[in-house]
Amino acid sequence: MSTWDGLLTGFAFALQPGVLIYCLLGVTLGTFIGVLPGIGAMAAISLLLPITYYISAEAALIMLAGVYYGAQYGGAVSSILLRLPGTPQSAVTALDGYPLARQGRAGVALFTSMISSFAGSVIGIVVLVLLAGWLSRAAVAFGAADYAAMMVLGLVAASTIGSAHPAKGFAMIVFGMLLGCIGTDVNSGVQRFVMGRTEMLDGINLVALAMGLFGVAEVIGNVRDPDRQAVAGRIGLRAMAPERDDLKRMPLPVLRGSALGSFFGALPGTGSTLSSFLAYAVERRVARRPERFGQGAIEGVAGPEAANNSASITAFVPTLTLGIPGDPIMALMLGALVIHGVQPGPMMLETRPEMFWGLVASFGIGNLLLLILNLPLIGIWVSLLRIPFRWLYPAILIFVCLGVWSVRGLTFDIVMVAGIGLAGYLLALARFNPALLLLGFVLGPLIETNLRRALLISRGDPMVFLERPISAFFVVATAGLLVYSAIQAWRRRETPEPGGASADGP
Amino acid sequence: MKRDWPDIWGGLALALVGLAAAGWAWVHYDPGTLRRMGPGAFPLGLGLALAGLGAAIAVPALRRAGAPVKPEPWAAACVLAAILVFGLGLRPLGLVLATASAVLISTLPAPRPGAVWRLVLAALVTALTVVLFHVGLQMTLPLWPRL
Repeated sequence: MSTWDGLLTGFAFALQPGVLIYCLLGVTLGTFIGVLPGIGAMAAISLLLPITYYISAEAALIMLAGVYYGAQYGGAVSSILLRLPGTPQSAVTALDGYPLARQGRAGVALFTSMISSFAGSVIGIVVLVLLAGWLSRAAVAFGAADYAAMMVLGLVAASTIGSAHPAKGFAMIVFGMLLGCIGTDVNSGVQRFVMGRTEMLDGINLVALAMGLFGVAEVIGNVRDPDRQAVAGRIGLRAMAPERDDLKRMPLPVLRGSALGSFFGALPGTGSTLSSFLAYAVERRVARRPERFGQGAIEGVAGPEAANNSASITAFVPTLTLGIPGDPIMALMLGALVIHGVQPGPMMLETRPEMFWGLVASFGIGNLLLLILNLPLIGIWVSLLRIPFRWLYPAILIFVCLGVWSVRGLTFDIVMVAGIGLAGYLLALARFNPALLLLGFVLGPLIETNLRRALLISRGDPMVFLERPISAFFVVATAGLLVYSAIQAWRRRETPEPGGASADGP
Repeated sequence: MKRDWPDIWGGLALALVGLAAAGWAWVHYDPGTLRRMGPGAFPLGLGLALAGLGAAIAVPALRRAGAPVKPEPWAAACVLAAILVFGLGLRPLGLVLATASAVLISTLPAPRPGAVWRLVLAALVTALTVVLFHVGLQMTLPLWPRL
C-alpha cells in the first residue's frame, strides 16, 4: 500500500464518528491529566485500560495515544504557571517558562509551547510514516536472536541513558522481568510462582500492576500536598499573542528540537524525557547569548516542547513495526493491543492497515483538536490548576478499584492492587523508578520466548547472537552502553557533583 | 556515620526477593539445557541477577550519605485501607456504601480539617460512581446490602 493510499484509508477510518469520539476523549483527558501535577500519563493510561476491553483495538490505541500526547500539551501548562511539571517530559519547560510567567508573559510562554508542540508533532508524524515503512520492510529479515538482542538493548538503554543510578534502573527492570515470569509458562505449560492460586494462572494482571504502581502509589505520594496557591490571574486569547521578536525566535529551535525528538523517540529505550533535556542543552549551546536561558528565553520553551512531542509520536515506530515497546508508556500501549489479541510486528502495515494508518491520521486530527482545545480554552485549563488534589484523589481510587474489578470480576485483583500500590510507594520512596519495572514486565516474556527459540534453532550454541549481523550489532551496542555507563559511574565517584539534573522517568 | 538508608533497604529487599525467586525456581522447576531451556532457567537467572544488583546497590550505600526520605505512613495506611474496604465490601455492602466509606477513609490524611467537605465529597463521588458504572456502563453490582 502506498503512503498516499495509506493516509486516505487512515483518515477515512479515523474520521468515523465512533472513532473520532475516542480520539477527542483521549486528548481531552490527556490534557486534563497533564495539567494536574501529581498524576501522570502512565496513571491516566492505566485508568483507561479497562475501558479498552469494550471498544475495538484500533479505537483503543487511538484513545490511549491521545492521552499520551495530550498529556504533553497539558504538562507544559503547569510547568509554566506553577513550576510544577505535570509530566516528567515537560520538566525542562519550567526552566524558562516559569520566569516568563513571572514577567507577566505567561500567555506568550503558553502560546509558544502549544505552537512548538504542534509543529513538533507534525514533523514527528512525517518521520513516523517514513521510518515505519522502511523499518517494517527491513524487519522481515529479523530472527528470534535479533529480537532478543534488540529488546535487551532497549532495556539496557532505558536504564542507563540519562540515569543517575544505572544499577537501580537495572534492578527495576530485572524485578519486572521476574514478575513477568509468574503464571503459566507459554513454552512448557508449567505453572511458575503461582502458589496454588488459580487467579494467578494468567500471571499478574497488567491492569492491576499499572494501576497499583502509578495510580495508587502516586496518590499516596501526593495526598498530603497542601492546597496550591491561586495562579496568576486570568489568561485569555489576547494575552497569548506573541510579539514579532518572539515569533522570529521560534522556528529554528522548533526544527532542532523536532529533529532530536524524532530521532531519540524512535530509538528504543531513550524516549521523550531525554530528548527534551537534550533539546534544552542544544538550544543553550547554540544561543548567541546563553545567559538569557533561565531568565525567560522563548527558545528554552520552544525547543524542548517540540522535542518531547515529536518523540512521543516516533516512539510508536518500534512498538508498531517490531512489536517492541521502547519506553514504559509504549509497553502499556502494547499491553492494550495484546489484550485485544493483536501482536504488532512487521506485517501489521499489511494485515491491519486501519490500525497503523488510522493511528497516523488520528495523530494529525488529535493534534489539531489539541490546538483548538488549548488556544481558546486555555482559561479553563488554567482554572483547573486551582482544584486541590484532595477533591480528586478519592474518585481516582474508586475508579482504580472498579477498573481493575471490571476486567475479571475478582475481588482478588483489588486486594492485589493494594499490595502492588504499597510496593510501588515504597520503591518510589527509595527512589527506584517503577516505570522501568513495568517495561521489564512487558518485555520479559517476549525476551524469554525469543531467547529460547533462538537457542533451540542454533542447537544450544550461544554464538548465534554474534554470528547474525543484526543481532551482533545490538550485542555490541549493548556492551558499548554498559562500558560507557560503567565509566560514567566511575568518573562520578572521582568528582562528586551535588544535585546534577538527571532525566529519570518514562 | 551517614548512610544512604533508602538504597540499603531497597537493595537488601530486592536481593532477598531475587534469592527467594532463584531458590524457588531451582527447587521446583526444570532448568533444562542451553539447547532446550526449561521453565526454570529464566527465573533462576533473573533471580540471581536481581540478588547481585541488590547487593551492588546496598553495599556502596553503606559508606555514603543519602538524601533524607519523608515517608507518609498515615497517608499510605488510609489509602490502602480505603482500597481494601472498597474491594472486600463491594459484594456485602453494595456499591453505594462501599464507595462512600472508601472515600471517607481515604480523605482522613488530607491536609484540610473539617467534616463537611468530606461528607460532600463522599456524596458527590458516590453519585458519580453510580451514574457512571451502574447506569452508564451497566456493571452488574449490587447497589445496597442484601438484607
